[in-house]
Amino acid sequence: MRVVIVGCGRVGSLLALRMAGEGHTVCVIDEKPSSFERLGDDFNGEMVVGNGLEGATLRRAGIEKADCFAAVMPGDNRNLMAAQLAREIFNVKRVITRIYDPIRAAVYREMGVETICSTVIGAGLIHDYLIDGVNRADAVAGAGGRT
Amino acid sequence: MNQRTTPYVIVIGGGKVGYHLARHLLDRGYEVTLVEKDRVRAQWLSHQLGSCSIMVGDGDEMSFLATTGIERAGVVVGATGDDEDNLVACQLAKRKFSVPRTIARVNDPENVRLFKALGIDVPVSATELLMGLIEAELSGSDAVKGVAVKACGATLVDVALPELSSLVGRRVADVHLPAGDLVVCIVRDGRPVVPQADVVIQPGDELIIYSTTLDVESVRELVTN
Repeated sequence: MRVVIVGCGRVGSLLALRMAGEGHTVCVIDEKPSSFERLGDDFNGEMVVGNGLEGATLRRAGIEKADCFAAVMPGDNRNLMAAQLAREIFNVKRVITRIYDPIRAAVYREMGVETICSTVIGAGLIHDYLIDGVNRADAVAGAGGRT
Repeated sequence: MNQRTTPYVIVIGGGKVGYHLARHLLDRGYEVTLVEKDRVRAQWLSHQLGSCSIMVGDGDEMSFLATTGIERAGVVVGATGDDEDNLVACQLAKRKFSVPRTIARVNDPENVRLFKALGIDVPVSATELLMGLIEAELSGSDAVKGVAVKACGATLVDVALPELSSLVGRRVADVHLPAGDLVVCIVRDGRPVVPQADVVIQPGDELIIYSTTLDVESVRELVTN
């Protein structure tokens, strides 16, 4: 698959490395060139420096040919806008975004924008460990393993 | 106060645009709430605007929006300097609070299309307006002395016809514009003339053309050839 990831922070870089490792064609966008250091030297995907909310940047990253798109920048609103750009303007089939605010995550999910709320998931996992003593974080992390 | 006839307006973002907009609306008798994130800026705003209700908070936070009386608002304006914040504030207003009309300031002109597609009623791009004005000035032509106002994908071009224009002497019906484009008004001796099919275009007329396909340059070519 061809994937475009906007935001090369902790989540973006981990995701990019994992998907590139699985043989997917990956392009990561970030405004700060230094963010790409998180990918290490062995990353075989593409890196594009620029604003992930700008059509020109997204095109440079090959969004027109992308099968899937993930918005994982620090700001919820930036992610929501990027995701909707990918869906509405570039017709990317599978689009998802990470959102911190549970309410916003729920509202946009209702509107058809797929969201993952890391706050809700984190709180849920911690809750489960406190209640039944089982840490399910490894299961969620999948083949990515422990962080 | 004439609250019954004018809608309650919520303006999000108390920067220069939001501040002047709120002041303008207040002067016209609107009920306005100006929402500003920054406490210090909000204090300054309430000094300037007095009676206007300034609220300190996050315009795209649902729980905060619920405290602004948004359910009875007629219009919500996203006026911050960040397109993503204006978009989300307007979408929440529309989807969750059923606000009938949402207006978003659009800083990157390319986003006008996206905002339209996402249901924002009126995306306003100041950049595009300025570009249109400057473009018209740069064309340096007497023919198109006017303004290209690009909004929502359409352009209003104000064309002062040159004496030798091929359009002079023709009926409005015989002015061939691309499909969907329209002469919306003729200004003759400083007065508007309704451009009915039979009206004959005269030297010195000024045409106001609504166009979704032309830019200032093509209009210039059209009227001077």
